[in-house]
Amino acid sequence: MSDIGQANSRRSFVFMGCGAVVGLMMAGYSLFTARGTSTLSVPPEDVAMVNQQPISRSDYLLQLQALYGVDLQHATAAQRRKVLDDMIREELFVQRGKELDVASTDPDVRAAMVNSVEMEIAADAITSQPAEAQLRGYFALHRARYASEGIMTLRDYVFPPGESKAAAEAAGALEKMPPNAALLSRLHGSDSGKVADEEFYFAVRIHLGEPLFEAARNLPDGGVSGPIVHADAIHVLYMFKNQKPVPFDFDAARDRVLTDYRNDAIGRLRTGDEAFLRKRANVLIADDVR
Amino acid sequence: MAAVWVQLSRLEARLLRADPDAVPGNAALMGFALGRGEAQFETHCAACHGRRGQGDPVRGVPALNDSDWLYGTGLVSDIEQVIKYGIRSYHPKAWNLAIMPAYATPEPSARDARIPALSPGNVRDLVEFLVQAQGRSADGAAAARGAELFAGAPGCYDCHATDGKGDSAIGAPNLTDRITLYGDGSRESLSMSISYGRHGMCPAWVGRINPAGIREAAVFVYSLSHGPGPAAPAAPGAGQAWR
Repeated sequence: MSDIGQANSRRSFVFMGCGAVVGLMMAGYSLFTARGTSTLSVPPEDVAMVNQQPISRSDYLLQLQALYGVDLQHATAAQRRKVLDDMIREELFVQRGKELDVASTDPDVRAAMVNSVEMEIAADAITSQPAEAQLRGYFALHRARYASEGIMTLRDYVFPPGESKAAAEAAGALEKMPPNAALLSRLHGSDSGKVADEEFYFAVRIHLGEPLFEAARNLPDGGVSGPIVHADAIHVLYMFKNQKPVPFDFDAARDRVLTDYRNDAIGRLRTGDEAFLRKRANVLIADDVR
Repeated sequence: MAAVWVQLSRLEARLLRADPDAVPGNAALMGFALGRGEAQFETHCAACHGRRGQGDPVRGVPALNDSDWLYGTGLVSDIEQVIKYGIRSYHPKAWNLAIMPAYATPEPSARDARIPALSPGNVRDLVEFLVQAQGRSADGAAAARGAELFAGAPGCYDCHATDGKGDSAIGAPNLTDRITLYGDGSRESLSMSISYGRHGMCPAWVGRINPAGIREAAVFVYSLSHGPGPAAPAAPGAGQAWR
């Protein structure tokens, strides 16, 4: 056995040769498989290469399933051929479309491209999972957003314009007793019918309008508004039950917090990307429209 | 070392060229894919789904270790599509169709203006209907009203099917079983889902994980519910996340 510490020209030559062979193999592999390089083989994840553009194997399988409802094992040769031919045809036409620059003339292609780029940005944004602390921080910052929708059960009584005295009398009476038909009839009042049973706050806002909703939202159970004069009538609101919005704790709101957090991230990324695109673009604007 | 590398490359190519749904029946490919798939899963999926795919109902993350499939039927090809393109991931090929409307809001669905908002009473009736459909004790009259709503204008039937058993082609969960995606199945959590909607997301990993990694992760997820498959010989490099 030779001493490992001793110089040995034969051993050095063998090591050098091995290194060179490994280097050449790696370089060769990289040369023929790197993205963008011309290759004569089809990568295993693809079913075809059309002018060096891959047709994905999983898309091919999906297409087989969509068209014929079969997996690869059960597809006939004709079905496989048809799907592959269709996919190759599509790829050829897409490539021709790029050559013809159809995006510059076809509004549908332009819209689809804009949409695709926006979606790509959004897809990037949702790949990273925010840490729990980030979500909790976001929740703390925007706590007012996360509450249940309030619910109210109220009646909207209307009195003819000019009957303000009757309306005031009704409001006074309702503070002492629950609404009753005899009282309303005596004072020429009636239920507007705009709100019924219990409703979410947003529904009351829609049904009564903003001014009446604002008058109602802070009424306690059994509370009565003063007469509210509108062009159509004088309104008196009686609140049977007012369940105000209840703030959610983090666990209850987590799902919505995550969605909002991601939407904000998507918004920021889109803004940033647009700013970057504008910065690197050479945009000339005609004098008359500046 | 070069021989191992060549063998790994060949196995990887075989795995990619194989019909994904045939992989579980192939001991060699399963042995190769499982360890590497587990590494991919831990890196990219476990943060939400948990290390053993147990899910998290608090966050609405589905369990992957049972036989209840929200999307597809649990085949490797179905799982691979989800990993590749995601759920509501903004990828054009993602599963994007079903979004649970938020019925306690003025516009429950951004996609369909015909879907009406519901009243608090409507929500309670629907909850009773669902509780009854799950075989639990419910208010019969309210459940009957809820059944009418389910089959009516709010359009619940459109995604969850007229029998409430859901539709895995669009990711609409079965509402008649006791498996809940969000919450503990209580009236409160059902009410939350109906009132404020649900639309969980799974990222699209295409372009971020290479095709072999996606296939391996899909095989690993498949094994969580189906077991590791045929006895697999140890593959060279199995378990190494060297990509």
